[in-house]
Amino acid sequence: MLKINHIEKTFDNLVALANVSLNIEKGEFFGLLGPNGAGKTTLMNIIIGYLQPDIGTITVDDEIIMYEDLEMRKKIGYVPQDISLYLELSAYQNLIIFGKLYGLGKNELESKIDEVLELVQLTDRKKDLVKEFSGGMKRRLNLAVSLLHDPQILLCDEPTVGVDPQSRNAIFDMLTKLNQKGKTILYTTHYMEEAERLCSRLAIIDHGKIITQGTLLDLINQLDQKETIKIQKTAHTKDKIDSINNLGHVTEYDFYYELLPKEENSQHSTIFKHFETLNIPSQFIEISRASLEDVFLNLTGRSLRD
Amino acid sequence: MKTIYNLVVKDIIRFLNDKPAVLLTFIVPMVLIVIFGSIFGGSGSPRGKVNIILVNESNTPVSRILEARLDSAKSLRIVKKYLPENGKDSLKFTETVAKEYVRTGKISAAVVMPEDFFTDTSAALKFKFYYDPKNEIESSIIQGQMQQTIMTQVPRLIPFLMQRRAIDFIGNDSTAMFAQSLGGILETYFDVPADSFVQSLTKIDTTELTQTVADDSSEENQMFGNFVKFESEQLVGKEVSNPGLTRSVGGWAIMFLLFSLTGAATSLFEEKQEGTLKRLLCMPVNRSQILWSKYIYTMSLGVVQLFVLFVFSWLFFGVDVFSNLPNLFVVVVASAAAAVSFGMLITSVAKTINQANGISTLVILVMSAVGGSWFPVTLFPDWMQAISKVTLTYWSVEAFLQVLWRQAPFTAIIPNVLILLTFAFLINAYALVRFKNGKVF
Repeated sequence: MLKINHIEKTFDNLVALANVSLNIEKGEFFGLLGPNGAGKTTLMNIIIGYLQPDIGTITVDDEIIMYEDLEMRKKIGYVPQDISLYLELSAYQNLIIFGKLYGLGKNELESKIDEVLELVQLTDRKKDLVKEFSGGMKRRLNLAVSLLHDPQILLCDEPTVGVDPQSRNAIFDMLTKLNQKGKTILYTTHYMEEAERLCSRLAIIDHGKIITQGTLLDLINQLDQKETIKIQKTAHTKDKIDSINNLGHVTEYDFYYELLPKEENSQHSTIFKHFETLNIPSQFIEISRASLEDVFLNLTGRSLRD
Repeated sequence: MKTIYNLVVKDIIRFLNDKPAVLLTFIVPMVLIVIFGSIFGGSGSPRGKVNIILVNESNTPVSRILEARLDSAKSLRIVKKYLPENGKDSLKFTETVAKEYVRTGKISAAVVMPEDFFTDTSAALKFKFYYDPKNEIESSIIQGQMQQTIMTQVPRLIPFLMQRRAIDFIGNDSTAMFAQSLGGILETYFDVPADSFVQSLTKIDTTELTQTVADDSSEENQMFGNFVKFESEQLVGKEVSNPGLTRSVGGWAIMFLLFSLTGAATSLFEEKQEGTLKRLLCMPVNRSQILWSKYIYTMSLGVVQLFVLFVFSWLFFGVDVFSNLPNLFVVVVASAAAAVSFGMLITSVAKTINQANGISTLVILVMSAVGGSWFPVTLFPDWMQAISKVTLTYWSVEAFLQVLWRQAPFTAIIPNVLILLTFAFLINAYALVRFKNGKVF
């Protein structure tokens, strides 16, 4: 449905996007994961026709999106990274203003407003000024505005930045519902947990390049180690790190060590036996499945949060 | 103490990093001081020269001498010739043309020394003074300078004029007898030659007239006033009920219009900061539509603002805004169009809202001062008068004066309106291109 073909974009001497290609199917919840400054927002800006690519094309249902393609924008809903609302107006006034710009008639607009307010659970606050809303409520309204014209594709550019966990979960639920109803969603984030939780397929972007893409399982299967072992930093474990090093590659974090076991030590029984000989109690040990963080680390040598 | 020191340093660093604040704190006052200093010299008297037409139809030695004195007057620039429409050669002003020039606002005053300014039988000097008190300060300067120039010369003519008056009252023979008798007495008792005295009463010494006489006291002036017939005629604004406000309301209006409309135009920066501009640009809305909508909204705001201001002036101060309403509307629209364009220009060249606010405040204050919102431009030095003509304030203020003060017809405001609209068109085209190409936001 949404095809991104060999997009390149440079700002002065900075390469923001280098030969980016993605193919997002209808009804898919596609994640674009990458650290800050990786080029996620630039790609979003090009998809919605806010920026012109230097090279490459973007198509929706095989139709090329041109710069300032107003008709194509009606097919796309965009949830910006920032709260893009008139704070001195009420939620209802915001929805009226933006809805009219999408060309909705009075009756249609009124019913869409009711619908989206219900979806984002702000019906009882529609007359209140947006500036009086909490951060989470503003984010939800930000999402509601993007849904007024019932777009086929929803672009969400880090829509949960600065949001409390409760509101974040609410937004996740809303997006999941929308996806279940058939909306195609492209979701950018630098939180691997969000990508893992929401996206059926995803791509990882770094320094403007797509470094890998596929389902979560595809990406994790690229790793030699599918599991990691976390060992809490305690008085029991601190002086035993040299011995643990023999089991595989150890990375030290603030509160724990992360062990990626060598192939010959991949059996849990081998590892636990070794810990037992080192007198490390099992409550300090946690085995977890490899995550997107590990995929990113494996591909770039850096953490997503670096 | 160190904490306070560190806090002070913090404020200094923040201030120096805020370029618009630095600009407003130091540059704006300096620029205004230069402007005020150019208008009011060290003594506090105006420096600029005020144009005034002089028509000398008399061609007597006395009129020629007074003409020469007025030519060298510090505060006046005497204009004697004009270029007729479709004419190549300039012609000498006649009384009729001079009056028309004053009436249409091309010049503020005209002095005519008519043919009977000083005839063989005149007992007083006769002047005609036509003026348009469109600005109080300017009128005071003209009248003051005229009075000073004429009154310092009149005392030299007093004996001669007294002789003429005496002839009127007691006849030629009696006057001659009186002069001879008085001359005899003076010769006998004061050793003054009688012939010389009689000559002083009957002949004008033009060399004496060219010598400057110290300023006369008001009492003397009053006496001399009997020897000067000043026929003053106010050609414009006689029916204006509130001359002071009518003259100045246009200047203040355009200044506040510039402030409010520039603020409204630069609100695009606020929309950018709030993220709503980007949201709009991600909707079925293009950049030109956003710019035009901002232009139309801001201009409508300006038109409404000016009409509210004028209606308020009418309600509370009796300024006549309805007699020439269609033309006032044209000037209001043209001024608002130019003011919004100025805001668009600032928006298209500034990179941040702070920068836009700093630049606009500086430019608006300077334009208001130089363009005639605060003082009549005729008080400025020549170089500043030349600069004033490149400000939109000047053309707007002059247009408001035409419609409110002079109740001028549409033809009189065409040049001003055309200049304001051309300014608006050119600036908008520039801003539109920059905005459309994404160079602004």
